[in-house]
Amino acid sequence: MEKLKDAFDFSDFSRSERIGFIIFTIFLFIFPWLGVSSFAKTVMIQFMLFSLFGMGWNTIGGYGGQVELGKAQYVGIGAYTVALMMVWWKVPFWISMPIGVLIALGYSFIIGYPLFRLKGHYFAIATICTSLVLKDIFDNWALVGAAKGIELPIHDHPDFLYMQFKSDTYYYYFIMALFYIAIFYMNWFRKSKLGYQLRMIKDDEDAAESLGIDIRWCKIKAYSIASAFVAVGGGFMAVYNLYIDPASVMELSLSIKIALMAMLGGAASMWGPIIGAAFLVPLDRFLGSWLGGHKGLTGIDYMIYAMLIMIVSAYQPRGIWGIIEDLRKRGK
Amino acid sequence: MAFLDVENVVKDFGGLVANNDISFQIEKNEIVGLIGPNGAGKTTLFNCIVGYYKPDKGKIRFKGKDITGFKPFQTSREGIGRTFQIMKVTTGLTVHENVMVGAFLRTEKRAEADKEASEIIEFLGLSHIKDYHINELPIAIQRKVGLARALATKPELLMLDEVASGLNHKETEEMVELLKRLNVEKHITIFLIEHIMEMVMTVSGRVIVLDSGIKIAEGPPEDIVKNPEVIKAYLGERYAKGK
Ligand SMILES: Nc1ncnc2c1ncn2[C@@H]1O[C@H](COP(=O)(O)OP(=O)(O)OP(=O)(O)O)[C@@H](O)[C@H]1O
Ligand SMILES: [Mg+2]
Repeated sequence: MEKLKDAFDFSDFSRSERIGFIIFTIFLFIFPWLGVSSFAKTVMIQFMLFSLFGMGWNTIGGYGGQVELGKAQYVGIGAYTVALMMVWWKVPFWISMPIGVLIALGYSFIIGYPLFRLKGHYFAIATICTSLVLKDIFDNWALVGAAKGIELPIHDHPDFLYMQFKSDTYYYYFIMALFYIAIFYMNWFRKSKLGYQLRMIKDDEDAAESLGIDIRWCKIKAYSIASAFVAVGGGFMAVYNLYIDPASVMELSLSIKIALMAMLGGAASMWGPIIGAAFLVPLDRFLGSWLGGHKGLTGIDYMIYAMLIMIVSAYQPRGIWGIIEDLRKRGK
Repeated sequence: MAFLDVENVVKDFGGLVANNDISFQIEKNEIVGLIGPNGAGKTTLFNCIVGYYKPDKGKIRFKGKDITGFKPFQTSREGIGRTFQIMKVTTGLTVHENVMVGAFLRTEKRAEADKEASEIIEFLGLSHIKDYHINELPIAIQRKVGLARALATKPELLMLDEVASGLNHKETEEMVELLKRLNVEKHITIFLIEHIMEMVMTVSGRVIVLDSGIKIAEGPPEDIVKNPEVIKAYLGERYAKGK
């Protein structure tokens, strides 16, 4: 009960934040009816999807302060579980998606156990490596379509069981529901015992240990929560795109984008990942289409991301949200 | 059976023996001081007991249980709280949140941890700085925050590493009062490292002296100040410094 109350209790946010949140919610609700193009809807769906990823990452990466750069492998696990179970056994989304989450959880415990023996840069590099390994396996594994990927069978009528719809609007509201579940979860999480313990670990590991915190176990728990989050998003990607391959759901660049969005917006804050996604998703889209016409410029998008991350970490490690908070403090 | 039983503890940092065959016991409800010149091995001994270091030899028993080789989070759960000689200057959690994290060791509920933290902060007279971050506080207050969060874990044995250093005369007296209150009212056994002689001497019922990793004396404070070995250890240090 207390948990539920915490999830829906935003009273410790400032008045302007709460009002902003309500306006933002109304806006999201009516957005599909504003006569917007289907492209705009797609961008919005991406925005909410990446916010979901970023919020998941924020548990271990933000609150726990661990530079985690391997989230894509769990997107992949979520996506592949949904896609394969549907292709092989016609399993509905509502069963395969939770199974994907469970597999992601199990896998994250197995990976997390050795991973969190490492600290700092070594940890960051190791997370990248684990992700690369999984992508390599899927790239070469004929049974799961190898690098060609898999196509989901397209139903000719809307099907709620398999989450297949003609109109993007259905997907829009579905990802919006997931997005809000994530927000409420994070609102609980940041006030939970684990949330506090992770912040202590981020501050001072020796002190955390002296207060009875099993550091490694806490990190593994947060890592698994993050993995479960992104696996949900992965499952969504499978039914939304109807086609997945290792390059789209397991690529290192996806891992980096997830971390980057949260850091840019403001790691370890409630709104950071959402703000970050609101900036980077449109930018990513824009750069993507622009670069499509300029062959020689591929890679420029990553240079821009790299620059952004350098500017953020040098100027304000708490990201855009940190800048907003500073401005507010100065205003008082 | 002693409350804390340290038996022949050896800690060797590759040739530098920081703790050389140290044995002593602490009974429930005692206040015991640990003194010695710089580099005597006091902090190392603390770290061996609470598990930051694994002793190369020897045994540590707490309430009859063998805790040798336990991790710090385990000794903390067993009921040993400790403060650090050097606090990490952090910017994340506020003072109140720091203490809450300590309280979370014994409860799952945020409301309880919150209340517990407020009480301890009040008890230590830190209410006016509860929303500050550790980096915004003077070192002496930082150590008090360390004490507050250790207290929040409800320790039975509290190990304090120079918690009074940097305090002025009046503040030191207040700290002595505070420790006595913790000892009498909350039945917390206290084991403290201290450089300020007058403080150790007034607060401790018994004093253990280390020098170059060896226990050179143990006894009531009035005997310790007269002990020739102890005087030599301290004078020796002063002469060395004079050079
Ligand atoms: N991790 C370590 N590795 C190597 N040597 C160490 C380590 N920690 C402490 N030492 C050495 O062990 C000796 C004892 O150090 P320790 O910190 O225990 O002394 P101390 O009695 O607490 O001194 P102080 O009064 O200055 O705090 C010192 O010579 C120190 O340099
Ligand atoms: Mg010391």
